[in-house]
This record gives sequence, C-alpha cells and structure tokens, in this order.
Amino acid sequence: MDLLSSFDWLLNPVVLTRQFMAGLANGMLLFLVAAGLSLIFGVSRVINFAHGAVFMLGAYIAFTIVSFAGSSIPAFFAALVLATCGTFLFGAAFEMLCLRRIYRSPQAFQLLITFGMVLVLGDAVRLIWGREENSIAVPEGLDGIVRPFGVSFPVYRLALIGVGVVICYGLWYLLYRNRWGMLVRAATVDREMLQALGVDVRRIYTLVFGLGTGLAGFAGALAAPIVSIGPGLHAEVLIDAFVVVVIGGMGSLPGALAGALLVGQANAFGTLIFPSFAIVVPFIVMIVLLIARPWGLLGKPE
Amino acid sequence: MMGRLAIVLIGAVIGAVIVLAGPQVVSDFWVFVFIEMLVFGLYAVTFNLLLGYGGMLAFGHAVFFGVGAYALAILMKRAGLDVVSATVLAPFVSASAGAVIGYFCIRLSGIYLGMLTFAFQMLTYTIVLKSYDFAGGDDGISGLKVSGFAGTPCGFYYVTLAVVALSLFALWRLVHSPFGLALRAQRGNARRSMALGINVALHRWLTFIIAAFFAGLAGALFALANQSVFPGWLNWTATATPIVMTILGGMHSFVGPIVGSIIYVLLQTWLTGLTEYWALFLGTGIILIIMLLPNGVMGLWRSRKS
Repeated sequence: MDLLSSFDWLLNPVVLTRQFMAGLANGMLLFLVAAGLSLIFGVSRVINFAHGAVFMLGAYIAFTIVSFAGSSIPAFFAALVLATCGTFLFGAAFEMLCLRRIYRSPQAFQLLITFGMVLVLGDAVRLIWGREENSIAVPEGLDGIVRPFGVSFPVYRLALIGVGVVICYGLWYLLYRNRWGMLVRAATVDREMLQALGVDVRRIYTLVFGLGTGLAGFAGALAAPIVSIGPGLHAEVLIDAFVVVVIGGMGSLPGALAGALLVGQANAFGTLIFPSFAIVVPFIVMIVLLIARPWGLLGKPE
Repeated sequence: MMGRLAIVLIGAVIGAVIVLAGPQVVSDFWVFVFIEMLVFGLYAVTFNLLLGYGGMLAFGHAVFFGVGAYALAILMKRAGLDVVSATVLAPFVSASAGAVIGYFCIRLSGIYLGMLTFAFQMLTYTIVLKSYDFAGGDDGISGLKVSGFAGTPCGFYYVTLAVVALSLFALWRLVHSPFGLALRAQRGNARRSMALGINVALHRWLTFIIAAFFAGLAGALFALANQSVFPGWLNWTATATPIVMTILGGMHSFVGPIVGSIIYVLLQTWLTGLTEYWALFLGTGIILIIMLLPNGVMGLWRSRKS
C-alpha cells in the first residue's frame, strides 16, 4: 500500500499539470541551447564543448546589467539583448580567429579547441565575477503567480514558454522560409557544391556559429532569474544539451525541439518516479539511441 | 646525419639518467610529478592506440581510466584484496568494460563513436556519484595504502616505471606487429581492408579491449599514487586530458603522446604553482598549440628532420 500511496500524485491533476508545465518551461530553455549546438554541428561538424560556457556567459552578462539597471522589464529586456549580441559577437570572433583555420584538421582538434575555450571562459568568469554564486530577481511584473484551474504556476515560467515558442517560430522562419536559411541548409548537405555555386560559405559558417552561441547566450540570460549564477553553471547545461542533440539527431532542428521537450518532461517526472536514479536516465537513453539509431529520432542516416 | 645521431644518443643518455636517478635527488613532490608523467604517458598512448592507429576518436576514454582506478579501490576497500592482487585484477575489469563498450562503439563511425564513449563515461560518472556505499559518492574512496618497498614515493616510482615501461614495450610491439599494420590499414580504408580479408570489426574491438586494459592499469597506478580515487576522474572535464597530451605530442608517432604527457604535466605543475587561474593559461595554450602546431611537438621534430 505504501508503494501505491507514494504514487497517488499520478491521479492528482494539479500535480500532473504543474510538473508538465515546469517540464515544458525547462524544455523550452533547453531547446534554445540545444538548437544552437545542433545548428553548429549540422553546418560545421564541430561539437562545441564551449556551448554551456557561452550559456553561462549570457547569464553573467544579464546579472551585471540587472545589478546596475534594476529588475524592471525594460532593464531585463536590455540584458537579454546585450547578452545575445555579446555572445553572438564572441562566437563569430571565435569562429573567424580559431575554428576557421582547422576545419580540415582531424575532428579531435576541433573538439579540443572548443574545450580550450571552456577552460578560458570558466576562469575568465571567475576572474571577472568571482567564485560566489549569484542570483537576480525575476523582472517586476513577471514575478507573480497565476492560478488557472486551481494550478498555481509562476508567471515567469509561462513567459519562458511563450518566448520559447516565439524563438522556435523565428528559427523555423529563418531556416526554412528564407533565402539565407536555404543556404545554411545547403551548407549542411554539401559545402563544396555551395561554394562552387559562388556562395560565400565562410560567412555562413561564421554567422551560424554566432547564431548558435547567440542563442545559448540568450538562453543563459533568460534563465538567469531562475538559476544560481556561478562558475559551475555551464556543466549541467552542456551535458543536457548533448543528450537532447543526440536524442533528436545531430544537426536536426525539429529533432532538437522534440529532444528538448522530451528531456524537459523526463527531468520533471523522473525526479518524482525514481528520485535517486533520475539523473542516470538521460545517459541510458543516449546510449540506447546511439546504438540503435545513431542519427537520432528525427535526423537522417548519413 | 652523424650530428642528428649524436643528439639522439646524448638525449637518450640524459633521459635515462633523469628517469633512473632523478627521483633520488628531488623532493617527494617532484617524485609525484614524475609518477604522474609516467602514468599519463601510458594513458595517452592507449588513447592514441584508438585515435592515431585505429582512427577511432573515443573522447570518453576517461571511462576506462576511471573504471581501472575505481576497480582497484573497490577491490581493496570493499573486497579486502591486497594491493598486488587488486592492481593485477583492476585492468581486467576495465578491459571487460572495454569489451562491452567497444562492442557497441566499433559499429559507429566518426563523432557518433565518440559520443557513445562519452555517454558511457557520463553514465559511469553519475552512477559513481550516486552510489555512496559502494563507490564513495562525491568523496571518492581514500586510504589506498601501499606497504613495503613501494610504500615510499621513490619505491613506488620505480615500480610504476617498471610497469609503465613493460606496458609501453608491449604496446610498441603490438602496433608494429601484423595486427598493428592491419589496424592502420582499416583506419586508412576500411572497405579495402575488408576486401583484403582483414576482419575489421574484430581488429577494432580488440583494440578497444587492449586500450581499455592499459588505460585501466594507468588509472589503478594513479589511484595508488594518490592513495585515493575521485569521481572527478570520470567527469566530462577529464575527457580532454588524454586528447590534449596526444595532440600536444603528436598523434602520428608512438612516443608523441608520452612527450605530450611530459610537457602537459610539467606545464600544469608549473601553472598551478604560479597562479590560481592556471586553467585560463592552459586553455589559451591549448588553443594556440592547435593553431600553431597542428602536428604536435613530434611533428615539429620530424619536419626539421626532412
């Protein structure tokens, strides 16, 4: 009977809805990070180990802006814009100065250069902002709680879901309904052919890397009010994004969305069902998928 | 030509003197640094066995190092085995892990293979972290005492030197045997090798098992040198260590990773003593080396030769 009573939340629609919404909010955030990782991999075949560190950088930039300008909605909006632009420029510069020279080298080199950037960013953050954990308040006006149908839920997380949907639509429009997006998708298929057709492929690579890191920085700023902003922030995000990208298919944007929503829900409900083993589940899923379907749920076999 | 031979000979003599007599004259701290170079040299060579010879970028290679280290600690502390039996058995545990992980990995290519080894590494890491009773959780396991001759830093150094030298000799023989040639052939062109009658899958699988065996041995030795094991050895940040050493030294030669290990350990020891922000310099160093020395230190040496 004890077993049953510990599972009685299964029949409680309030708990179910709350967990579902929390999972959705986290899934949307995860999507923003994983979409950038997947996009970069799809175009340049580089696994960006520094992606979590860029997320962290975005959160720290937001922290700095909000500590100066207060936690009003305009100030937070400015923080979002600056974090996105800053990380976009950072990514584009990193691509132009470092990555561009080694696309023809073995994959270990590309892996390692992004890893070097993890070390640099990790220490740069400690040097600039210190070792302590920081937090910022949820922007005024978004800090309330709504109770639709008796389920209480923070407004900020609802806003997160909304922003996620908007960005998702924007990305889809950019990549699938736009000439530039068409070129990006062409670059994932055949870089040489695209170059032979007279397209400046190098610029596409730079912009895609910047777009990817910009998305990560944006996600970091967006997450800043609900996470603890410390030098260790990047690790968990990176690993989660890896899992998402593998589940969805490396290089597939719809896959990143599906994977992020799945991992978001798995995290939300996994901790309820088997608390001590929830953190193992993503890796088991990752292993099973890589063995059975290495190209992911929505990717295409190479 | 004579000049080059003389340089190599003098270098070998100086190297031999440092390796054999060095630990007698330096402090215990530096003896530990020497041990670290040896252990990570072996570890990096096993990584390069997969990457440089087998063409397999196993960026979760730390799983085998970690499994070897934890196998030793668990055999000593939970099963009550003595040091020698635990050290002998630990590599077989990691080789078994290599057999299981390799079985699935060899079917994949490129980045997918790397991701799968990485997923296994992270799975092992989270299990170790969650299992307090068995694997010590985030405290790790400590109190792995060595007694007798190997109980002193210097004694342990000579034991490590002997074990690592024997292992490297075995690996050197392996890569220069017909097996090693076939392994390199499948790296160049798997399909043609198959047509020539080479069992590519079997070669790749055995390479995984052998690399896991010696990586586990390195892990076990490192655990004894530290008298403890830590879960951080399995975390994703540990992934880069053997890759950095291999690329630093050069992945196209057998001794490259050993040279890389020596430089890396020296650099890290020097930087950690110098500044709190050593990772900043290490990261910058990694980025610069990749951009400026794509063939590693040994590549530089070779290009001067020709």
